[in-house]
Amino acid sequence: MTRLTTTLASAALLLSAGTAFAQDVLRVSAIPDEAPTELARKFAPLGAYLEKETGIKVQFVPVTDYAGVVTALTSDKLDMAWLGGFTYVQAAQRGKVIPLVQREEDTKFTSKFIASTASGANSLKDLKGKSFAFGSASSTSGHLMPRFFLQKEGIKPETFFKNVAYSGAHDATVAWVASGKVDGGALNSSVWDKLVEGHKVDLTKVKVIGTTPPFYDYNWTVRGNLDPALVKKITAAFLKLDPKNPEQKNILELQRATRFVPTKPDNYRGIESAAREAGLLK
Amino acid sequence: MLNPARDPAFGQRLVGTLLLLALLAPTFVLTGFNPFVLFHQDTWQVWLGFVAGFLPPAHGTDFLGEVLRETVTTLASATLGLALAVAIGLPAALATSRALDAARLTAEPPSRLAETAKSLLRGLLVALRGVPEIVWALLFVRAVGLGSLPAVLAIGIAYGGMLGKVYAEILESQPAEPARALAASGAGRLARFAWAALPQALPELVSYSVYRWECAIRASAVMGFVGAGGVGQLIDTSLKMLNGGEVSTLLLVFLLLVMLTEAISQLCRHALDSRAGTTGIAVATLAAVLGSWWWLRQGWPNDAFDFASLGHFAVEFFPPAHDAALLTSAAHGILETLAMSLLGSALAFVGGALLAVPAAGRFGATLKALSRLLLNLLRGVPDLMWAALAVLAVGLGPAAGVLALTLHTSGVLGRLFAETLENAAPEPERALLAAGAGHFAAFAYGQLPQVLAQWVAYTLYRWENNIRIATVLGIVGAGGIGTQLYLALSLFQQTTAATLIIAMLLLSWAVEALSRALRRRMES
Repeated sequence: MTRLTTTLASAALLLSAGTAFAQDVLRVSAIPDEAPTELARKFAPLGAYLEKETGIKVQFVPVTDYAGVVTALTSDKLDMAWLGGFTYVQAAQRGKVIPLVQREEDTKFTSKFIASTASGANSLKDLKGKSFAFGSASSTSGHLMPRFFLQKEGIKPETFFKNVAYSGAHDATVAWVASGKVDGGALNSSVWDKLVEGHKVDLTKVKVIGTTPPFYDYNWTVRGNLDPALVKKITAAFLKLDPKNPEQKNILELQRATRFVPTKPDNYRGIESAAREAGLLK
Repeated sequence: MLNPARDPAFGQRLVGTLLLLALLAPTFVLTGFNPFVLFHQDTWQVWLGFVAGFLPPAHGTDFLGEVLRETVTTLASATLGLALAVAIGLPAALATSRALDAARLTAEPPSRLAETAKSLLRGLLVALRGVPEIVWALLFVRAVGLGSLPAVLAIGIAYGGMLGKVYAEILESQPAEPARALAASGAGRLARFAWAALPQALPELVSYSVYRWECAIRASAVMGFVGAGGVGQLIDTSLKMLNGGEVSTLLLVFLLLVMLTEAISQLCRHALDSRAGTTGIAVATLAAVLGSWWWLRQGWPNDAFDFASLGHFAVEFFPPAHDAALLTSAAHGILETLAMSLLGSALAFVGGALLAVPAAGRFGATLKALSRLLLNLLRGVPDLMWAALAVLAVGLGPAAGVLALTLHTSGVLGRLFAETLENAAPEPERALLAAGAGHFAAFAYGQLPQVLAQWVAYTLYRWENNIRIATVLGIVGAGGIGTQLYLALSLFQQTTAATLIIAMLLLSWAVEALSRALRRRMES
């Protein structure tokens, strides 16, 4: 009997060693709010920088599903992830996670409401009875907050619009509106600005018809049981990114950040109550 | 053109058609399917713009490299998934097949305990195959993370349930004498299986497994829609980004893959005839399974088989939610699903019939070849992929589901209809023509009555199949109860998801039981 117990105990130890093993690689992912190729392109220099600063190999795990990132982080299959406000709240509800830093821009984030010029809409009210697209159902700036602010204006999407669709990602929403597949949509202002600056959107076909009030959004979050010393190193690496350094400027630009600032769970109380009010969180 | 004077039953036909349309009217309302939208100028502009974007197919080196990698992943996931399914199905068949029961072979009374265990196992198999593989994949994506592992597990489990049942039936269909002789001399269940049942049934078992492998490849190719890797993932991304060039390359690759697997499975069936061929298949299978394992294993996390977290994940689904609001919306989802499948099948009957006539060679060789090509295209692209495309044409919602089911099923039915036309006796039609009847009347009175019953039977069978498919089309946004399931899982409302999965299971069982009962009545 004792022998069996010993065998079982050592087997359990061996198994747990697999997960609690001294960190030799940092597994990082991001919610797929843009096309997977775009996410990988954005991350590459940041990954190299973190590798240099922490002395640990950084591996980017591409994930195509919002909820998948949340599950992977809370079940220790990822060490760090770039989450949206709502996905962070979901992760915090499902396990122990620590939000580290966010872009300065994320402290006053907004979403844009857009419409196709062909629809003739100039305001949200004009979209009554037309079709409308959110991004992913799990997106903060592509779904939750636009929905929340629509409800504040007395607009219940499911009855106000002819039909409500989920495009899956911010850039997809723009593509849908531009093609006339839907009449209106909502997406995060940062992606909208990037598409406009890069001339990726035909402004004769799509126009902005509204902007939401500001809210807290995206952050970089680690799993709760990650080595504290490593957590400190990662945080410091983000915080000292300096736009004056040309190499680091490139990293910040790809992340569309002026600089990174520390963040804390309390910043996301507003998102949490918005999610409850919108019926997306129980 | 149709000439009423030449068709004595014209009035009856007209009334019949109108009556049928009136019966289908509620489904048009429920699904919001407006066939006229398809002919709107706006729809055409969106559609033409997208199709124009299909050309030229994307052929950048990076992109093609990625396509190749994902194609191999698709193949490997299907192969390894099927290996898992065989590993589940064969022992299950060994345990449950009535062909091996001592009670049937000898006079020995059955043991109650063993019978209960067998019933439980059969029930488990029913549940495994009752949940569609794409739903399994969605669940595993959430439970074990992304990549190809969920696809392998989903195919393994859903097909395992199917193989368990079919293998058992194949064993039962063999002559019982060898097993009886062994049983009489005291041989155990395993010995009866290995020395009597298996050698007899082997060719049929292999041939069915090969057929399932073909199905697994089609299934594996669409699993990327829920994040489980493979070609489907690339198609999903390209579709979302409205990148037509990439979509056309991927569709071409996919059709090639389907043709390749059909060729391989043909080869396998021929090879079974000779001893050397059989050995060859065994070696090739082993190599394919090991190769698939090696290829996929690199992409899996080290702790992929973390059963504790799987357990936690499963527990979250209990107890299933049952508040009135959810039950109402689930009931509505079921109704929408049924309406989609009914309308899609009915329209496919029309589409299939219209394509079958030229495909049977009635309008010359060119039209025959063209319509056959079209039928193969319609049939070769899986319904879930049609649904993702249809969403672009008619927007999200059940109307897209109806269009997808119509397109895919027209391809399936058209081919079957064409075969029945070719096999029908030509004499009655010739006689009518000789007697001075018009071409339409001769066809309607000489050919149609011979094949119509068969056509209706095929359509009813496909309808049954389409109900099951309609439950999952919502995963790509094409309406029905799948839409609710996808949303519930995205928002971590697991108990709601559990209720919806149960609703799907009940629907699938109800349809199966109903069709079994109907068939029995028709046979007796």
